[in-house]
Amino acid sequence: MIRQLLTLILAFVGGFLMVGAWIWAPQISSAMSSFVSVGPSVSLFADANRLGRPEVAPVVRSCIFRVVDVGPDATKMEPSAAYFILKAGSMQASVAALAGKPDDPRSGFRTVLSAIKWGELASCIYAQDDRELCDPDNRAAMVEATTKFFAFAKQAEASKSPIAGGDASVIENFSDKLLNALKNHRRYGTLVAADFGSFTAPEIMRIMREEKETRDICKR
Amino acid sequence: MRAAFVLGGIFLGVNLINYFVLGHTGDYLPGGQRMGEWKEAKIREACYPALESPERDELLPKLTSNEHRVDWRDLNRAKEMTAALNCYLVTHPNAICERNNRAYIIDYINRYFATFDEMMNTAKRYGESEMSTVRNLWDSPRNRAINAALMQVTGNGRLIKADFGWTVPAAMKPLLDRYKGTTDNCPRA
Repeated sequence: MIRQLLTLILAFVGGFLMVGAWIWAPQISSAMSSFVSVGPSVSLFADANRLGRPEVAPVVRSCIFRVVDVGPDATKMEPSAAYFILKAGSMQASVAALAGKPDDPRSGFRTVLSAIKWGELASCIYAQDDRELCDPDNRAAMVEATTKFFAFAKQAEASKSPIAGGDASVIENFSDKLLNALKNHRRYGTLVAADFGSFTAPEIMRIMREEKETRDICKR
Repeated sequence: MRAAFVLGGIFLGVNLINYFVLGHTGDYLPGGQRMGEWKEAKIREACYPALESPERDELLPKLTSNEHRVDWRDLNRAKEMTAALNCYLVTHPNAICERNNRAYIIDYINRYFATFDEMMNTAKRYGESEMSTVRNLWDSPRNRAINAALMQVTGNGRLIKADFGWTVPAAMKPLLDRYKGTTDNCPRA
């Protein structure tokens, strides 16, 4: 009887895996490529109460149209849709970098552009009131924007096509500004290491490890 | 015996995938004389024009406040589902009398209420003001017309509890219970 039960479970799992793999293969493949190219946006192990939904974050509402130019449609467009456009554009840059020719200048340009866009968004978020980041959605937006900025900046640095002088200094400025802001937020307790994924840029993780929380600005 | 178990397992797996992954929930509605094949429903194609540009329809759900946490995909889903169900029930009030259409429409009613419940569950995390934003979103003139049509089709027996099987939406239960036993007034061919 036990053996029959075991057979049934095995058959079920096998059937589910086979049919599931057949159906989910494209999604799994695209998720893996995005994961490999820029790393996960937010930590998979983060506390669900700490990180919410970045696309609907109020800070994204105030900042996204400074980064994504949709022309006169900006008043009609939902900020979460503009955020999606930014994410889709970056995904395209990641896939192009992964699948395209390594010396393709367009691929390098897209990566630099993505780094600058995410850097602008992250800087705008950090410029808001520090307590804004006590909100899980705002915190998730901040984590995602920062992680993506550093991932694309690293990718641009590693690509064979050189980064134009002006763009390089813009990226460097963002990088300095964001690292400073990260330090502050680590001290304020608005950010902890667990908020970031395991594949996050080492400079972020170093700050998260080395800096200590001095006060919790989210406590009322 | 073993082969039967293996086939049984595969059958179960395929059905779970069909229901949860592919979302073919209509395949699991009760059969019988009243219910046909949802895939064959003519009303689906007849209502394609209603779904072409829902943004032009001012009577569809829209957000009343800028301070909300509704994702644009959920907003679009609310608009599209309302436009579609409005077409199935309000624009074509007799469509539900045809067996295939009835199966399709019942499945769609389930999805409509499930989407509302899902959005309300998300809104709960943000408190009463967000819940009220979502409630207002789903209270457009088209949604109210759908509610009126649902009352009518349950009142005249075109829709009964047994049609839903084990998936009766919570919002529909009191209505279906109130008109239990009503014979349907569909025009006979």
